[in-house]
Amino acid sequence: MSALCLTLREAPAQRLDLSMLLPERLAALSPAEIERLPVQTTRRAMRLGDVFRLRPGDAKEVVIEGGSARFDCVGACMSGGVLRVIGAVGQRAGCEMLGGHLLIEGDAGPFAAAGLRDGVVEIAGDAGDYLGGTLPGERTGMAGGSVRVRGSAGARAGDRLRRGLIIVEGDAGADPGSRMLAGTLMICGSASGLAGYLMRRGTLVIGQFAKPGETFQPCGLDPVFPRLLRRLIAPYSADAAAMLDAPLSRFMGDLAGLGKGEMLIAQS
Amino acid sequence: MLTLLSGGRIVDPANRRDAIGDLWLEDGLVIAPPDRAPDERHDVSGCIVMAGGIDIHSHIAGTNVNTARLLLPELRGSAGFAGAPESEAIGRLYAAMGFTLVVEPAISPAVALQAHRELAAIPFIDKAILSVLGNEDFGLQLIRAGEHTALADYVARTLAASGGLGLKTINPGGAAAFARNVRRFSLDDEVPEYGLTSRAIMRSLQQAAIRLGVPHPLHLHANNLGLPGNVESALATIEAAEGQPLHLAHLQFYAYGEEGPRKFSSAAARLAEAVNAAPHITADVGQVMFGQTVTVSSDVLRQFGARNQASPAKSALLETDGNGGGIVPYRYRKENFFNAVQWAAGLELFLLIADPWRVFFTTDHPNGAPFTAYPDLLALLMDRDLRAAWIAELPPEAMAMSTLPALTREYAWGEIAIMTRAAPARLLGLADRGHLGPGARADVAVYRPEADRAAMFRNAALVFKDGLPILREGRVLRPHRGRALRLSPGFDAAIEPRLARYYDATFGLAHTAFDVPAEAIDRTRDPFEAVPCRN
Repeated sequence: MSALCLTLREAPAQRLDLSMLLPERLAALSPAEIERLPVQTTRRAMRLGDVFRLRPGDAKEVVIEGGSARFDCVGACMSGGVLRVIGAVGQRAGCEMLGGHLLIEGDAGPFAAAGLRDGVVEIAGDAGDYLGGTLPGERTGMAGGSVRVRGSAGARAGDRLRRGLIIVEGDAGADPGSRMLAGTLMICGSASGLAGYLMRRGTLVIGQFAKPGETFQPCGLDPVFPRLLRRLIAPYSADAAAMLDAPLSRFMGDLAGLGKGEMLIAQS
Repeated sequence: MLTLLSGGRIVDPANRRDAIGDLWLEDGLVIAPPDRAPDERHDVSGCIVMAGGIDIHSHIAGTNVNTARLLLPELRGSAGFAGAPESEAIGRLYAAMGFTLVVEPAISPAVALQAHRELAAIPFIDKAILSVLGNEDFGLQLIRAGEHTALADYVARTLAASGGLGLKTINPGGAAAFARNVRRFSLDDEVPEYGLTSRAIMRSLQQAAIRLGVPHPLHLHANNLGLPGNVESALATIEAAEGQPLHLAHLQFYAYGEEGPRKFSSAAARLAEAVNAAPHITADVGQVMFGQTVTVSSDVLRQFGARNQASPAKSALLETDGNGGGIVPYRYRKENFFNAVQWAAGLELFLLIADPWRVFFTTDHPNGAPFTAYPDLLALLMDRDLRAAWIAELPPEAMAMSTLPALTREYAWGEIAIMTRAAPARLLGLADRGHLGPGARADVAVYRPEADRAAMFRNAALVFKDGLPILREGRVLRPHRGRALRLSPGFDAAIEPRLARYYDATFGLAHTAFDVPAEAIDRTRDPFEAVPCRN
């Protein structure tokens, strides 16, 4: 049986809360019930059926054909199955996800994969600020799972990262890995600002970065670790694996924080 | 369904009833004993049966509460901190104590939609908001021009559009003055540019509420909250009401003198005397209890002044047209002289204001203490030996600054029922609540007396909402969704185009942009219950 498919009718006139489009949730609903799900975020009522044409199918895989930067909370709190968006999404895509596979074949807005607990998030385009970061009022950011961004990320990617792996194959904006608690953040392109600002533990790998802040100290590199890491991440990203083949310089920091984090820079 | 609660001691002071008897409920109402067999019988012999409790002043929703949640992720959910619990916990914990109506007393009309949506997420209990005016440019302009009829129309339109049950003003003029760099603001200080005193603003709003027949008198958060010697402010404010109805919020925070070596003392006895002598004044106490909490207030001037006392050391201040707000986390400590004096001053007010119909049971949640401290506070009011035990643990030099150690009054069950049930219902103009006569709403709390009164109040033996049992000893029996109570006062529609012109010229917005339509809260049922005005 083919996937349950939702085709965008026309660009929505307001931001939409699509957090209910989860494979496990749609599986329990009839097509008519799905079309009646409320998606509005303003006073103007809007049902799912007003925005999308529904083609029923096996809800283990849900496909959204057509995207918009107004699609918020796509895949939020998802716990299983596959959700594929052929197009862009708005803020909080895959935030607080517990499992499953979220594929975005376009750009994502801020807070993509923020507070991720488990599962896989793939973004074919660019990601906004706070990729895998901390949601307002929360103490930690992403705490498990993996995120791969083919394009670039905005500011503060991996903010308060607790556990898990984030790979950005393009460039990162200002202050990637800020307040990192642990986990691994890899940026294949360049970074700007104070990378690893106040990071406590964890590994931050950057392709091109002119100079870490004053509170990062150069330290010797054990050549075994990059090879182990390479083996681990090779299935996720060839770019990231290739970055680890280059000569790396290693810094410890942020000494303004706990200082047990490490920053590996491929070429300075 | 016909339900019988048999053999309990029914404490219903509004109907002058305090006797062992039966209580019959049907279709959400209390009914006279019928000659039919009940469908459901609950044996409540040995228990105290009262109407559902009403809290007239508790910050349970709105932007300030949310900002507190955002500011303090490290405290949220931790033991000993209930300053800003999740909506679900608010409803469940209140209902477990036997409370069935809670009023959120400080909602700026501009954020009323958000606040009502949050209230709708609080289960079990009914809710209401008070709408805050008195610092916004439009209202101050009307008051300055002496347009009292237009002001009343504006107040009525605001109450109707924001879904308010009453009118609140917070440090009237203080926030507007703060925005113009004023840092001290008393009753007769003028708001720069407007030339209006706090007194003039308060009086204008008070009369607007009276003119509209709003049942609840103007709910006033007065000037100089928390400052040593501010009892003079409070006494002047009582005078300023000039015999017309006025409700003073969290009076404990205004009961401070400047006696003693540390220039800080309780002046609660003087204040209680003034309240006793002024039958038009009602007051809730805003009792302080010890522990971690967070102060959330739209009195931005006062919160700015308190920001350096924050514990943990961080705060959030917000400046807007109208009141703005401030979030300052705070921990009241037993060993702290000032906190101990505050604690004593609150209890003095409870014990020295003679008329339980005019003093209301609040901690100004979460400013004096989270509402989860209510059971301990009720126990203190009912037991002078327990109070003596607490006093023995507090700094003697603090207790010397108050008359509390000499007070022997103990609240009786009937007085508790007046203060937490009958009086709030009357104050808010709710004829079908706060009592158990036929026709009353079947919100009922059943308490099983035990030596530890705090434990008894924390988890009522049985709680009924709209005639259905919802909680037993703190455990949920069935889910229930309450409604929000609102007024719909009439007004001259001429105010509409005037507001429209003002909003368009000032903000570039439609004046209806912040209105609260019922369908934006809940599409499946009416989330509101209408309360009539007095005229």
